Amino acid sequence: MTPALDIRGLTVRYGGTTAVHDLDLTIGRGETVALLGTNGAGKSSTVNAALGLFRPAAGTVEVLGRSPLAAVRAGGVGAMLQHGGLPSETRVGEVLRLVAGRYEEPWPVTDLVTTTGIDGLLDRRCEQLSGGQRQRVLLALALAGTPPLLVLDEPTSAMDVEGRQAFWATMRDLAGRGHTVVFATHHLAEADAVADRVVVVDGGRVVADGSSAAIKSRIAGRTVRFSCPDRTGLGDLPGVTAVGGTGDLVELATTDAEATLRALLTARDRLPELEVAGASLEQAFLTLTGGTR
Amino acid sequence: MTALLLFQLRRVLRSWEYLFFTVVLPALFTVFFTQVFGGQAGSGAEYQEYARTYMVAMMAYGGLGAALGATVRLSFDRASGWLRQVRVLPISGREVVAADTAVGMVLVLPSLVVVALVGRFVNGVQLGLGTWAALVGALWVGSAVFVALGMLLGLALEQKAAGAAMGIVSVVLAALGGLWIPVEVFPDGFRRVAQAVPSYWYGELGRDVVAGTAPGLAVAVLAGFAVLFAGAALAVGARRPLHAVAG
Repeated sequence: MTPALDIRGLTVRYGGTTAVHDLDLTIGRGETVALLGTNGAGKSSTVNAALGLFRPAAGTVEVLGRSPLAAVRAGGVGAMLQHGGLPSETRVGEVLRLVAGRYEEPWPVTDLVTTTGIDGLLDRRCEQLSGGQRQRVLLALALAGTPPLLVLDEPTSAMDVEGRQAFWATMRDLAGRGHTVVFATHHLAEADAVADRVVVVDGGRVVADGSSAAIKSRIAGRTVRFSCPDRTGLGDLPGVTAVGGTGDLVELATTDAEATLRALLTARDRLPELEVAGASLEQAFLTLTGGTR
Repeated sequence: MTALLLFQLRRVLRSWEYLFFTVVLPALFTVFFTQVFGGQAGSGAEYQEYARTYMVAMMAYGGLGAALGATVRLSFDRASGWLRQVRVLPISGREVVAADTAVGMVLVLPSLVVVALVGRFVNGVQLGLGTWAALVGALWVGSAVFVALGMLLGLALEQKAAGAAMGIVSVVLAALGGLWIPVEVFPDGFRRVAQAVPSYWYGELGRDVVAGTAPGLAVAVLAGFAVLFAGAALAVGARRPLHAVAG
């Protein structure tokens, strides 16, 4: 069976800047994959190229064994875009019926409405939806044709915490029904909660690719922060994977905060402004790229 | 295609501003100006002449406004992100453009018909049945020029600029083309300018049909403008895809 998504040598340039460098990514049918990265990492460019929204500078993209546009036209792909929107002067139900009418095997509307949690919104004017409701309606449009592949670009950005939880519950349910789900996010927690495979993108390249558990163990480290003008030897402390911070402020990324602290306290009398915190995604990337950014 | 066309038609018809400016306003103007100026006519024939001319001018004004107003909305759909959404649905860009063009053409009819009805039943304009049909038919087909111009504006401009351009362009076209004040009372220089805008020839088309003269020149000039606007719209559309994000 052809893969759901097959990207080879993808390079995307905007003017003089290269957003994606020679990226390879193959996603099999039925996988749930998170593209994890910070803003500007190249996630959206990769997603938009996968949907055929523009012609990449180099590389090829195949979706379900066809060109992206052909796959979209055939109803094989449902997508939620960052800059997608709903038409003015319409009601939600009208838009949904228009879109459902374009597919050979539409998702039965009553079930689709329940699945995406838009009950009671069908008679609502599209202009009157809240951010979270709008995203759910856009999800319903993406699912209207029962597409085998679902591509979502930061789908929860306009949602509150409750909305996010409900949304990801829906996604897990869809993945359970055999849909291939690919989504871009900058939240490690979202990637971890939903995806069975996490692809970490940074600087337009894939810097890590593995099971959610494996990636998490690599990047869910701790940060030890303190003030110290001299950095010599800090990188050799037990557990430390990267040394960051600016000026006198030192930030140690560590996989074993306890061992790192023990060694620090043994060697020094004082550790002014000491803090231990969960690693941010930025620090996690520092670890993954070995502090070479 | 039919579903998309009906969907788009319904959306435009929900805009009361659109209906006011393209149907109600031209109809009110037809009554008001004919009563004010036609009332000063010396004879019945003179009044008839005035009522007829003014009705044709207002049909042209309503028709061009309806054509522009319906098609320029393409830029609104780009701004809302709907055209980008459509790109990831099995609806082709060609179909979207075709539907909007068809919507523009269809919505010209209410303006033409309502103003004609007002001309006939309120102002008492007398024409043969064949002439009525030819007048509405000619102005309907001729409105393709303004449908093409509206598509050009809608494709080329961002939402705010397109909205403003649509207002300015319809006022300029109506005023310079002699649809509000007949070109006969224009000074010489302005009269020559009038002949350079398509709205003048659109009005001329209607006047020719009513007078029973062959509208050969008007048809030729309008066809030229239509080709020009449609060509420019296609060129803009080819350079900037429908789903491109604004900015």
